[in-house]
Amino acid sequence: MSVTSPGLFSAYTPHSTAWDELFSRDSAPHAHCKTLHDRLGQLLVPDFLAKRAGADMAFVNQGITFSVYSDMRGVEKIFPFDLIPRPVPGAEWDRIEQGLEQRIAALNAFLLDVYHDQRILKEGRIPADLVLGSKGFRKEMIGFTPPGKQYVHICGTDLIRDHHGQFLVLEDNGRTPSGVSYVLENRAVMKKVFPHLFQDCHVRRVEDYPQQLREALMSVAPDGAESPPTVVLLSPGPYNSAYFEHSFLARHMGIELVLGQDLFVDHETVYLKTTRGPEKVDVIYRRLDDDFLDPEAFRPDSLLGVPGLFRAYRAGNVTLANAVGTGVADDKAVYPYVEEMIRFYLDAEPILRNVPTYICARPDDLNYTVNHLAELVVKAVNESGGYGMLMGPWSTVAQQNEFRTKILDNPRNYIAQPVVSLSTCPTWTEEGLAPRHVDLRPYIVSGRSTWVLPGGLTRTALVKGSLVVNSSQGGGSKDTWVLENGL
Amino acid sequence: MISRVAEHCFWLARYLERAENTARILEVNQTLLLDFHVPLQQQWLPLLIISGIHEYKGDPNSEAVQNFMTWDLDNPFSILSSLHWARENARIIRETISAEMWERTNYYHLWLQSQVCRDMYNYNRGEFYAQIRRINQLIHGICDATMSHGEAWEFFQLGRYLERASQTARILDVKYHILLPTLDDVGTPVDNAHWVAILMSCSGYEPFHKTQRIIADPAIAVAEFLIFDPLFPRSIHHCLTDCQRALRCLGTENFTEAERKLGALVAWLDGQTIANVISSGLHETLTHAVDSIHAIGHSIHNSYFDVEYAAPLDDHWQWQWQI
Repeated sequence: MSVTSPGLFSAYTPHSTAWDELFSRDSAPHAHCKTLHDRLGQLLVPDFLAKRAGADMAFVNQGITFSVYSDMRGVEKIFPFDLIPRPVPGAEWDRIEQGLEQRIAALNAFLLDVYHDQRILKEGRIPADLVLGSKGFRKEMIGFTPPGKQYVHICGTDLIRDHHGQFLVLEDNGRTPSGVSYVLENRAVMKKVFPHLFQDCHVRRVEDYPQQLREALMSVAPDGAESPPTVVLLSPGPYNSAYFEHSFLARHMGIELVLGQDLFVDHETVYLKTTRGPEKVDVIYRRLDDDFLDPEAFRPDSLLGVPGLFRAYRAGNVTLANAVGTGVADDKAVYPYVEEMIRFYLDAEPILRNVPTYICARPDDLNYTVNHLAELVVKAVNESGGYGMLMGPWSTVAQQNEFRTKILDNPRNYIAQPVVSLSTCPTWTEEGLAPRHVDLRPYIVSGRSTWVLPGGLTRTALVKGSLVVNSSQGGGSKDTWVLENGL
Repeated sequence: MISRVAEHCFWLARYLERAENTARILEVNQTLLLDFHVPLQQQWLPLLIISGIHEYKGDPNSEAVQNFMTWDLDNPFSILSSLHWARENARIIRETISAEMWERTNYYHLWLQSQVCRDMYNYNRGEFYAQIRRINQLIHGICDATMSHGEAWEFFQLGRYLERASQTARILDVKYHILLPTLDDVGTPVDNAHWVAILMSCSGYEPFHKTQRIIADPAIAVAEFLIFDPLFPRSIHHCLTDCQRALRCLGTENFTEAERKLGALVAWLDGQTIANVISSGLHETLTHAVDSIHAIGHSIHNSYFDVEYAAPLDDHWQWQWQI
């Protein structure tokens, strides 16, 4: 670090082993971050803090919050936001984008296959019991082809960068991924707080997401839908923690936000209850899990869904995005086989690699896992949000023993991975600017074609040393800058 | 538009209007009590009755009742409750209202929780009530200027004017409940001061005096103005005809139950003169108006928000919606 710089980064010391998103090993900024570093570095700490307070106020006043509890006066919190952007060089991003497009193509081909011919299972490339026994596998979908053969219309794929600087896929979220509204709101706030930085750094736009999504959804309307088709967003309701995002997306896409109670099905057609009578619905962007969609087809106790919706779907009268049954493709136990899917369906080598994974359903992997718990991250395959995890190196012997019992009881339910040291990014903390671990969730939108949001949600751990970045576990977020003139 | 969303629009406007009028009622009562002494039981408890609260168990004194009507979240008519539910309705239909409307609604929700706001209540009560009035005025202004004047906006108008009609009737009724000590006090400066206070609490002082009437009896003139005036935007008649206009704009080919009931109330008012009203009792007339408005609210619910739906019979539907 240059001693002549009195600014923001002057007291910053990068992490000893992890890849730093701003600084290279010799403590100089990466070449693609130079403008960003130099301009941001001119800020004095008090000015930075004033901007930070302003950004927080903007979030509070706009009510950009998530609720942690679901009671009527639930606590609304802002998702902690860190002002230091996370840069990604444009050329590197282009490769990530290709990798994501490749991956989503393979996942879609996999879903089409497992709900039709099951070629990949018959040829033994993925164990059939793993797929057919997955909670996410919906036998009700067998033989049904959604419009445009598209299953995963919206995918959030979590990437991490290891200590060599290589991006790896941590997991795919192909059911109802959330968080994209924070990408857009973070960007809006950053543009207000750092207008000049944007001009100097040539950051790729993220603001086209709602239009891209709307067009993708319209493109997969069923045959015979009105032109333009009626697209709605189906939300579990105002007490859902992601309701802010649902209304945000509906507002920016210019579509109606509906609850299950606003829809009804008659003659296998879905209608919206309006003040002027029923209105036919063609495409439903649903933010409701499969289980809750339709009490007739799935959980009978669901009050959030629409009775008969699945019948209408199978009759081809309405499109659901994402399709029912995509959970089988983002099952953590199926994840290790995605590279194999790419080879099988696309006859190509994966551009983005997986984190090496031990599948406890395999006897050898199970044996290795239970004997190396202190070195591994163990994940329950059907949990999300950082629940049901054992972080080996930071766990106690008692916690390891507890997990060993759980794993041996139900090996199918667990996978394990070596600890990958997530990359770090300078982040404002109580002790000043310090390295904190980050991941990256890009969003991939697919209708008749595929579009990737440049950048995505950078989630950051706020606790020193923590690798858990989930918002429900106290993580924060950053704006992700794909730099046009990068490397 | 979606029936559920329409209902949230309607209630968002009602809660905002209700908060404003609760502030007006508290303010006018405080002003009325400044000029002469009435027994404690008659000072603040009548306000609860006209707000429809019959089971108040708290202290009857000024501070206790004002606290109850301002801050008590368990009291569905308190200012805080009204603004809480206004904000909750707004939050649910954030994609329908304009971003500016939401931001202001949320801003005042946060303001109400701040120490600045408590201090204003404690040390400058009049300014506090004025600020509460301005919340509704501001959000309505933003609404008018930033939202398309389509269905959502019409439901907003409907909620606003229906609530206001009912509240003007209630404010006027305050005078009935604060009895003058003796008949000899009728027409005295104190009595006249009360009518002025009622007018001011409805922002009607200047418009009233600009009507250039010969004021023989302020009681009659003020009541006539607040019930019948065709131009003053807070008169009961004006509010009800605004509701009629909104319902027509939302119109279906056939009159809804809500429109029929509203039409009946307006026709009834049109058939009255202030002399009739006084002779059959001002309080009785106002009570009839409040009850009718309440029933109209129910009909609006049945006609627009909670309709039995039947699907169109064929693809090429020309579906006529019958209530």
